[in-house]
Amino acid sequence: MNSMERLVAAIQGKPADRIPIFCNLLDQGARELNLSLEEYYSKGEYVAEGQLKMREKYGYDNLWSLFYVGKEAELLGCRRMIFAKDGPPNVGEMVLRRPEDIPALQVPDDIYSHPAFEEQRKCLRILRDEAGGKYPICAYLTASMTLPAILMGMEKWMSLLLTGPTALRDELLHKCSLFFQREIEAYRQAGADVLVYSNPFGSTDFITPKIFQELSLPWMQKDLQPGGTAGVVYYCGSSPFNDVIETVIEHLGIQVFYLSPMDDIRTGKRRVAGRGLTCGVINDILLIDWTREQVRAEVRRIIEAGKPGGRFLFGTLVMPFTIPEDNIRVMLEAACEFGEGETVC
Amino acid sequence: MQSGSGIKTGVEDRPDEKMDAARQVFLSPFIRRYHEAILDTDHPFARQVVTEGLEQGILPEEILFKIVLPSIEQIMVSVSEARDISLAQYFIASQIASEVVEELIPRFRQSPDMVGRVVIGTASGDFHGLGKRIVIGCLKAMMVEVFDLGLNVAPEQFVEAALRANAQVIGISAMMIHTARGENGCRKVRQILKEQCLEERFRIAVGGAPYRFNPDLYRQVGADACAENGIAAGKVITGLIREVQRR
Repeated sequence: MNSMERLVAAIQGKPADRIPIFCNLLDQGARELNLSLEEYYSKGEYVAEGQLKMREKYGYDNLWSLFYVGKEAELLGCRRMIFAKDGPPNVGEMVLRRPEDIPALQVPDDIYSHPAFEEQRKCLRILRDEAGGKYPICAYLTASMTLPAILMGMEKWMSLLLTGPTALRDELLHKCSLFFQREIEAYRQAGADVLVYSNPFGSTDFITPKIFQELSLPWMQKDLQPGGTAGVVYYCGSSPFNDVIETVIEHLGIQVFYLSPMDDIRTGKRRVAGRGLTCGVINDILLIDWTREQVRAEVRRIIEAGKPGGRFLFGTLVMPFTIPEDNIRVMLEAACEFGEGETVC
Repeated sequence: MQSGSGIKTGVEDRPDEKMDAARQVFLSPFIRRYHEAILDTDHPFARQVVTEGLEQGILPEEILFKIVLPSIEQIMVSVSEARDISLAQYFIASQIASEVVEELIPRFRQSPDMVGRVVIGTASGDFHGLGKRIVIGCLKAMMVEVFDLGLNVAPEQFVEAALRANAQVIGISAMMIHTARGENGCRKVRQILKEQCLEERFRIAVGGAPYRFNPDLYRQVGADACAENGIAAGKVITGLIREVQRR
């Protein structure tokens, strides 16, 4: 059974040799190729090679086409990223310095052919040629409610969102939603299988239930309605979202939920209630310091909570650059060990 | 008059203005409506409550210490009781507190006693300012003088600014794991304080997502305390200020 078949079995609730294991190694690819992060992310060939090498080395089930989150800002005009030695880069120049810049924001008509998408396109082509159909290829897309934080900074976006002016807020959301619709189309065209829909504003840890209902939910519907939810994964960054699962299934039709490490897995699974795949996520920041025994115990706890009844995936969150390789191996070996065998009751 | 947090407001020694039961009854609907507006993240309505209160004879001091600050304290209580409070609610509570402080303190009949001084910024390499902004709004409402050093602050700058401001606390916000744990963040600030024999003079408070995901991280990087969220940071930092002042 290959990784793609394993994932499909988990989504459909069919028997498999083990649960799927997703490991979100990104920056670590630079270390594999002995490059600085800035060099590594300058070429799609490097990112593809890094992804293929790491998957081969550790044996998990997924590949990433994501370079870094700021790539979306580059597609919308950002020309400067600030690279670090040991972590993801920051957006170095806000596309929108003030709300008054919103009317001039241009959404590219064709993202697939856009020069700022060229390296991702190359990366995806290599991944598809080398591993397409065998390993799920993931893409990362930011929801319209969250994208403004990358374009103007979280402070300014939160202020515009909550205190207005509402006309500018809605104009920005409209443009961000249009961008999302075109971006998801580009990723599908380029061969991505798993479309991680990132939206911390889809969690009531970020916004109130009222704002979720009145703003987040309608904008998520606008984002997803044109292209549908095939392959789409609901993900709110590290923010918990167990309490909106029912609403998301009912109104958006998403079937895969990548929980926060702060979500209770049993509760999440109960709410998904056999209608989709629940992903139990380890708090991987703690992997930096944990002992082998602690890593194994936590992996076991997560899998024991999620595996009964099937339709479960084990996953990681941000996988900081400084996690020791030994702990990555211990985590993945434990996930294979505890996740082995018939997963359907 | 004292707020629930024990902050002196500058009018407590005037018996004729002591809050009596009738006054409390008069203020109650304003307190309730203001807090509801904050929980509803309704910025215009919260501001309207403040405006109406002033028009109906509520003192600027009462607005701040009997309405705005207790609402922040109530949010702290809710968080400690594990009742769900969202980032948006923290933001609005802090934002309005900041606005009210700026607008109303010049109208106080007597300058309030300040609790202490804090320099605050984001760690070197970190450009995420939202948490810092929430903390600043709360600290201002708690009568803490805040010196905002901005984003991507070098460790040396934190120490130099703290010395210049004669602050009690250095606040370092970090939203990324490498900026929270990195060599040029809190660890370096601690090292400089040690090298310059300043550890008795300043306390270091840290905050941000990595500290939520690793509750022991603040000790590892050499901080004295961390806060679960921006609102709780106000309480943590005023505690550290008092600790320094007692020495």
